Amino acid sequence: MIRVASLGGKQAWLPDIPKTPLMRRRMLWAYAFVAAPVIALVVFLLGPILFSGWVSLHRWDMLSPVNEMPWRGLSNYSYLLGKDPVFIKSLRNTFYFAIGGVGANTILGLGFALLLNSPLRGRAIWRVLYFMPVITAPLALAVMFSFIFDRNFGVVNNIITGLGLPRQPFLSGPNQALLTLVFIAVYQYIGYYIVIFLAGLQGIPQDYYDAAQVDGAGRIQEFRYITLPLLRPVMLFVVVTNTIGALQVFDLVFATTGGAPANSSMTVVLHMYNTAFKFSRMGRASAMAFILFAIIMLITIAQVRLLQDRAYGD
Amino acid sequence: MRDESSFLQPLGAALKSLILVAGAFIMVFPFIWMIIASLMTAGEIQLRPPVWLPAEPQFHNYTELPQKIPIARLYFNSLFTSALIVFGVLLSSSLAGFAFAKYRFPGREFLFYLILATMMIPFFVTLIPVFFIVRQLGWIDTYQGLVVPGLTSAYGIFLMRQFIITLPDELIDAARIDGASELRIFWRIIVPLVKPALATLGTFTFIGAWNNFLWPLLVLNSRELMTLPLGINSMKSLYADNTNLLMAGTAVAVLPMLIVFIFLQRYFIQGIALTGLKG
Repeated sequence: MIRVASLGGKQAWLPDIPKTPLMRRRMLWAYAFVAAPVIALVVFLLGPILFSGWVSLHRWDMLSPVNEMPWRGLSNYSYLLGKDPVFIKSLRNTFYFAIGGVGANTILGLGFALLLNSPLRGRAIWRVLYFMPVITAPLALAVMFSFIFDRNFGVVNNIITGLGLPRQPFLSGPNQALLTLVFIAVYQYIGYYIVIFLAGLQGIPQDYYDAAQVDGAGRIQEFRYITLPLLRPVMLFVVVTNTIGALQVFDLVFATTGGAPANSSMTVVLHMYNTAFKFSRMGRASAMAFILFAIIMLITIAQVRLLQDRAYGD
Repeated sequence: MRDESSFLQPLGAALKSLILVAGAFIMVFPFIWMIIASLMTAGEIQLRPPVWLPAEPQFHNYTELPQKIPIARLYFNSLFTSALIVFGVLLSSSLAGFAFAKYRFPGREFLFYLILATMMIPFFVTLIPVFFIVRQLGWIDTYQGLVVPGLTSAYGIFLMRQFIITLPDELIDAARIDGASELRIFWRIIVPLVKPALATLGTFTFIGAWNNFLWPLLVLNSRELMTLPLGINSMKSLYADNTNLLMAGTAVAVLPMLIVFIFLQRYFIQGIALTGLKG
């Protein structure tokens, strides 16, 4: 599913240049159609990623001229991985955030999709309700939840203390901030994954279930031997996209805790943002970006291998 | 019919409804609480024991907002820049997708793989260089600084190519025999046939641009250019002691979009199934 569809026809990297003037004119049109987007992608994506890699080997504050950046070799990388406790902490936090969020979104998303997949009145209304946070700006959700989980005036603490339980710090507690952020992130995206799982479930032919029932399979067996295997591609999509997104979290953390207290909720992209745009250390920040990029690539490859092998493992 | 289900059916159905209702309540509650709190006085929010409803709804929390925050301006900026980005992405993606799907030209495969490769680059890796480029161009604190880097989408090109390649070549050949120009073929034949894909791509591009925070935060400084998420961000400090006003401001920034969504939800959700599971 994430596989790239074949380009069709011969895999020629350089097909013959068309002979007739008419075909040549068409070819020129094709170049005209792709020119602007290709140039834009080179200027705003490919060029920058190369430049970013170059910067990560230097010391640069973005103000001094590009050709006078002092060379630092790999020292930005070795500093980050060896001497920067905040970076290591932010990596750990980011993993925690991603694992918690992806796990919960996958299990709850599939669970709710199963509930919504059976005959149900007003399915559209349920979908709308679960989907509302998906289209809401993360920044607005951050503001809403900062208030809801507020230590003194938050509604969750109002309920907790109303029940006679002790007040909780949530976003302001070193042991609770990250977990609270996971909750908000799951709240935000679960509707999206419910819809994806629902589409996947509706793509499974009813015949399979009918046949299983003739053979006397129970509900759990049906789920184990029909639903789950046939849902593998969807599962792969959910796990991969959710992991990639979660490892890049910024808005939510920036607007709730800002990484506090004591960096207990600092994430990599927020740390990178601070390093680059607060402290003007572009080299170090670029190195951070590359480390996270490499991690994302490795995790994605591992996930695709793991989930796809079993899906097509014959 | 199963034997066990006839026995457990009512119980299961009740439990199912209960879970769905509880889940939906959790989903909606933050929005409802935002509205309730936005109608309270600053004192009511801090009362002990807490109150669940305002004694009297403070509608002036809303009517007084525009004196402090340029709401109309925020909406204009968000709409204007998001519309430009959507227009750019739709045009560039469908034109390039058309060329990659239906033309043969030297370098086609190479360029297409190049685009696929850029699809995997996360935004944070290019953030510093793109910011630098925009600054060198003198575009800091301008609309073009906000918009231009977002006018093309590798994903959009990929998506449109996948759709256009499924269209029969005969349509294009027939139009050529009738003497239609390449641009006319694009506009009169291709575009009408890929409207569902364009609608989907447009919707998601719009939501992405509308909710984007980090890039506008870096590029924009002046109040006149701020988009809605930046407005919410500045309200956070402006109303640090007036949560009721902060909630009113956030509600004004969020609710209109939600209402639009409720009317168009069918298309959103079809679009997710379309893009998420295709290709």
